Amino acid sequence: MEVVDYSKAPPLIEGNPTLGHIDDSIAVPMEKRPSKKYFAALSITLTMLLIGAVALGYTFYYGIGMWGNNIPVGWAFDITNFVFWIGIGHAGTLISAILFLFRQRWRTGIARFAEAMTIFAVMCAGLFPLIHLGRPWYAAFVFPYPNQHGIWINFNSPLVWDVFAVSTYFTVSLMFWYIGLIPDLASMRDRTTNKFKKAVYSVLSLGWRFSNKHWQHYEKTYVILAGLATPLVLSVHSIVSFDFAVSILPGWHTTIFPPYFVAGAIFSGFAMVMTVLIIVRKVFDLEYIITKKHLDKMAKIILVTSMMVAYAYLMEPFIAWYSGNAVDWFVVVSRATGHYAVGFWMMVACNVFIPQLFWFKKIRSSIPALFIISLLVNVGMWLERYIIIVTSLYRDFLPSAWHIYTPTIFDFGILIGSFGLFFTLVLLFSRTLPVISMSEVKGVVEGAHPTHHIGAEHE
Amino acid sequence: MADSNKENPEKGQFYWKSLKEFHDDPASAEAKANEFMAGVTDDFKLSGMSDMSRRKFLALLTASASFAAASCSTYPSKGEVIPYNKEPRGVIPGIANYYASTCTGCNQACGILVKTREGRPIKINGNDEHPVNKGKICARGQASILNLYDPERIREPQKKSGSSFSKSSWASANGTIISALSAAVSSGKEIAVVMKTLLSPTAKKAFDEFAAKYPTVKLYSYEFFSNVNRNSAWKKSYGSEQFPLISWDKAKLILALEADFLGNEGNMIEQTRMFVETRNNGDIKNFSRLVVAESEVSITGMNADIRLSLHPEEQYNFVMSLLHEFVVKRQVSRFALDRNVVNTLQDFSLEKFAERNGIDQKSLKGLVSYMSKYKDSSIVYAGDRLPESVHIAVNFLNEVLGSTRLYRENQANIELLAYSTAQDWEGLVSKMMSGNVEVVIHYDSNPVYHLPEDYGYAAALGKVSTIVTLAQTENESSAASQWLLPINHDLESWNDFQTRTGLYSLQQPVIYPLYTTRQKEAIVITWASGNESAYHDTLYHEYLMNRWQKEVYPSMKLAVDFKTFWYSALHDGVVSFVEKPEGWDSYKVESFTSLPTPSTSKGYSVVLAESYVLGDGRFASNGWLQELPHPVTKVVWDNYAALSPDTAKELGVDYNDLVEVRIDNRKQKLPVFIQPGMARKVVAIELGYGRTNAGTVGTGIGVNANVFLSKKGSFSQWIYSDAAVSKVNGKYELVTTMEHYSIDNIFNKDIQFTRGIIREGTIDEYEKDPNFIQVEREADKPVSIYKKFEYNGIKWAMSIDLNKCTGCSACVISCNVENNIPVVGKDQVKVSREMQWLRIDRYYSGTPVEPKISLQPMLCQQCDNATCENVCPVAATTHSPDGLNMMVYNRCVGTRYCSNNCPYKVRRFNFFNFRYHFDGGYYAQQPVEMVNNPEVTVRTRGVMEKCTFCVQRIVEARQEALQDGRKFKGSDVVTACQEACPADAIIFGDMNDPNSDVSKMREHPLGYYALEELGTKPNVTYLAKLRNI
Repeated sequence: MEVVDYSKAPPLIEGNPTLGHIDDSIAVPMEKRPSKKYFAALSITLTMLLIGAVALGYTFYYGIGMWGNNIPVGWAFDITNFVFWIGIGHAGTLISAILFLFRQRWRTGIARFAEAMTIFAVMCAGLFPLIHLGRPWYAAFVFPYPNQHGIWINFNSPLVWDVFAVSTYFTVSLMFWYIGLIPDLASMRDRTTNKFKKAVYSVLSLGWRFSNKHWQHYEKTYVILAGLATPLVLSVHSIVSFDFAVSILPGWHTTIFPPYFVAGAIFSGFAMVMTVLIIVRKVFDLEYIITKKHLDKMAKIILVTSMMVAYAYLMEPFIAWYSGNAVDWFVVVSRATGHYAVGFWMMVACNVFIPQLFWFKKIRSSIPALFIISLLVNVGMWLERYIIIVTSLYRDFLPSAWHIYTPTIFDFGILIGSFGLFFTLVLLFSRTLPVISMSEVKGVVEGAHPTHHIGAEHE
Repeated sequence: MADSNKENPEKGQFYWKSLKEFHDDPASAEAKANEFMAGVTDDFKLSGMSDMSRRKFLALLTASASFAAASCSTYPSKGEVIPYNKEPRGVIPGIANYYASTCTGCNQACGILVKTREGRPIKINGNDEHPVNKGKICARGQASILNLYDPERIREPQKKSGSSFSKSSWASANGTIISALSAAVSSGKEIAVVMKTLLSPTAKKAFDEFAAKYPTVKLYSYEFFSNVNRNSAWKKSYGSEQFPLISWDKAKLILALEADFLGNEGNMIEQTRMFVETRNNGDIKNFSRLVVAESEVSITGMNADIRLSLHPEEQYNFVMSLLHEFVVKRQVSRFALDRNVVNTLQDFSLEKFAERNGIDQKSLKGLVSYMSKYKDSSIVYAGDRLPESVHIAVNFLNEVLGSTRLYRENQANIELLAYSTAQDWEGLVSKMMSGNVEVVIHYDSNPVYHLPEDYGYAAALGKVSTIVTLAQTENESSAASQWLLPINHDLESWNDFQTRTGLYSLQQPVIYPLYTTRQKEAIVITWASGNESAYHDTLYHEYLMNRWQKEVYPSMKLAVDFKTFWYSALHDGVVSFVEKPEGWDSYKVESFTSLPTPSTSKGYSVVLAESYVLGDGRFASNGWLQELPHPVTKVVWDNYAALSPDTAKELGVDYNDLVEVRIDNRKQKLPVFIQPGMARKVVAIELGYGRTNAGTVGTGIGVNANVFLSKKGSFSQWIYSDAAVSKVNGKYELVTTMEHYSIDNIFNKDIQFTRGIIREGTIDEYEKDPNFIQVEREADKPVSIYKKFEYNGIKWAMSIDLNKCTGCSACVISCNVENNIPVVGKDQVKVSREMQWLRIDRYYSGTPVEPKISLQPMLCQQCDNATCENVCPVAATTHSPDGLNMMVYNRCVGTRYCSNNCPYKVRRFNFFNFRYHFDGGYYAQQPVEMVNNPEVTVRTRGVMEKCTFCVQRIVEARQEALQDGRKFKGSDVVTACQEACPADAIIFGDMNDPNSDVSKMREHPLGYYALEELGTKPNVTYLAKLRNI
């Protein structure tokens, strides 16, 4: 049996590599010519992107009618995708900001990647409110810009809150990500011999010279930004949930939505980060930095958030029953038994039952199991938004207005396109910027913070 | 000049630009005299200029632009274009003109008032002056305006060459036809004119002249659905030709047997109005009871207090059993002593009848006791499609009850030309087959489609050398013709109509014929003159005036001259005069005692009904009507085999499965629609569908069930016994605007009541406690934390009396026409994207076998606390100070959030630019846009829209009031739906005016709001339905 030394925290980086080795191995993807596999992957994601572009082209040319949306189901795949991608975008900031503030140093190995995913996911998400408009060419109307007509926007509308919440979140996440990148960009500037790359990295690294002063400023800025980003993690999805919670529709009009949506977002975000990291650590040989322990911790977070989501799932029918509101109860029952029951039970299985496997250490340490479960969680979380949106709309107050929603190939095309965009960006990112923060990782190798105080090493 | 100014300062100030000028320097004076400085104008020689100087450039630009403009313009080809700088007499741009005319959408000839803007008709309303339809007009009549602008109207005479038509001219068409007519006369061969009901006395005169010129002319007339059985039964019972009109408003009990008097039979506008007079919640004492025994579910059946679903062939037994009950058992009337009568009735009894048909004895007992209580106020009315024998028995029942007093003696229907009998048609076909018919003229009729196939009419046409079809658009009969002559639309025509005694209805054109079409009567007169050159534009106009001057005017014995009379008649659209109807003899009891017992069915019975939306199929090419949901089933763009749930189960079929219906050797495959409340073993099918030649829109819509018609008939001409029905492979998707969720599912059961959408009760409940439908007292309502907005001045509101609404859907079409609602097509209705701003929701309660039906017109409720408004990010939907929930199309970006948050789901979204999307842009063609109301924006794709309470009418009325300097009142505005409602169920007005009708309705004990508990504070009040049970 392995003897565990509890007097010492386990190392975050395995194999005690030299600092130079860390730099080298993280910089490899940027310095070597990409393999054929990389281009194959890129061609797949670009094809997906193209499918989305074609579907979108049709939509722009002919109208929203190309989708399955109807009256009563005014929103369907469009807003489902929006909420889904916003949710995916949650893990990044949570890992980088909240875990940073809580001094969870294990985050260093995965923070950069998670943050990048946040940026890309929010980019995907931001597309949908734009393209779901009947007249996207007038999208600027949702911004409060001064105009000669004296027309202002309606600040009562949750959609306006959305505009601000998402754009703020995107801006702050981007800044946070970029600030974190500066030392690494400087390292890359110093490493590269290519003139063009050198010029680009030089500009982007803002004259970083690894001076003590720089580091001091950097650390302070980073903490401040982390502090700014932390409430955003909670606010963005709360506000997204207001799109539904503020409405009058049974199935949407629920006070539990803000925490429920935040938990769900973290849940899906971690699952997506896990899915992608499992591939990345393998492909780029970074298993010693993104260790199984990382995955184990993420699995635990997924388990916790899964149970929070499960709690919300239970609360919905309970409140519907307890309130005695017949329409609410009808929605709850029709979700579980109606036309979309298969989707509902798949959602429950993926989000509640399957993640319970993470109680077992064996599952948490099995890479294939982690991979499959994280994929299923993403499927489940996409379905959750779909179920919330479609099943509440398709049978609301007046039975005369009820109508089934069926997606069209254009709906699927755009969904595929959004994945295409996301993964294309991920692939491009992995070849142009360090996917792991070199500077931060170097800060958590064993002996990076020599101290006399035993056990304080990873504070 | 400068000097004089300088010297005389009092004349005015002298302005100088420089000292040189002040001192009168000659150079300065010269410069002043020339407009341009020296050198600017001197050298303007085009040849001497540089290649591209500014001037040369401008000169070339001007020249090329004017050449381009001149060469691209097609103005010269459009003839004389007259701008409105000189106002035509009577036309003020922006102000609508109204002209009285007559609708010929069916054979009722209702009076209409046509709204025109800048010379083009844009809406058809009822004519207030018309004593029959009194300002109302049905859905079909209103939608017929679209046919005027149908891009597929025939524009010039067509001659068949080979299998298709090619352009011809009136001269050559009429030349050929006149010589064919003359040839027919000289060879002694028949000239057959096939028409529908002849309604115009002047047209009749034209035909008399035509027949005088060509003695071998024979007129044939038919109607796809008609009251021939009722009239022939009446003749046998009372000796006169026409079944009398009925005082529906005086009835205490109406027993309608397979009769759809609120839907498709007789003048439904008049009948609806008279019927709802007995459904006034302010006059409970005189509330009538409507009992309907029918096999399919009709509009009348939907409004029944008590509805018995009865096999159509049992109707005879039902009437006989009722007669047995009254005559034999209760010894009512003198006929109780008549041996023959008693003998005829002895085999019948209500108990046996109830047992055989599985009908609750109690409900029959109730009916009988109610009938004996209100004997002479109980009218029994048998439907058009029932056979003569049932009508004879019904006549007898009314005689026994004494309800003959409800027959109107002051007015009766008139028949100008009797319908041809089966013998007539057989004679025609055999003459055609033997080559004894030289010319067949389809006079605005479509016999190839309408006549039962077993006459062999279509085949016999092959033996006729000259076939002429007069029609607006191609049809099945025109396809079999050599000549297709385009005729005017109603709105381009002159005419007079007489359908009743003492009443003329006039038709006048409101627009010059759009194409080289001619009025059909004028064509006949041209032929009668034997000379094509006899035709001129005003031929029929003059002919009509002549007849009126010579025949009608003298008989009126008026003090005014003819011109005054004529113009006032045209202005009013109607002329009423004293004319005593012929009356009828005393009852002939032999007609009853000699009654043959009709055969009854063992297998399935097929009930054929006229389509509510397409009529006899003539409106197949009208997209608005095709898309108008069926009043009962809510199916659009299709017909189907309606089956009861039991029958469907027996056959093992579900919605959209195909069944093959076979009567003898006539068969057709139809999709199944399961209709709660239908009688067992009955297949109900609407006719008017399955047209093979009805243009782009109408061709191939639905299934042609005319194949079931037989010249022999069966139980009657429209009810066929012993049909075989079997399931066949395949599916066909029917599209409805309402989901057919099952009504007996525990979660859906009575959902309309539990959710506070529909409230209703019986008149007994209402008498006991007038407030019985009020579930919540004012004190129980939650207190709002927001300050209430003060509506000072007018606040708009609407009330809809569910007691009166029959579901006829006239309001829906009126709204469509008024508000430029596009046609979206079946594929879009399938995905629930219909655009109608007003829909009529239909809910079932009770059991699928005996459902009760509740109707509710649903439109934007214009909520005070509108849920749509606060979710719109761009404030495209906002509230007006007069309480309207407004929609700003320009501002709308199309998030659809407002619709999601609307609990009534009355908002409509332009998922496409529907005018371009439907049928390859069919309704984007010229001249369809002419039908648009210029006061209402045509919405583009991507914007939300909804009912506006006809805001354009509000604005117009307000403007008028301002101009006239009077106070603007709520009663100045009439919405389109209100204007159309034949039952006057819709009231619109100012709720802040305590004397307005609408504010009284809001305080009415029966008034409620849909989904009241949501706190949206709607401004549409529904008055709960009361059932007299």
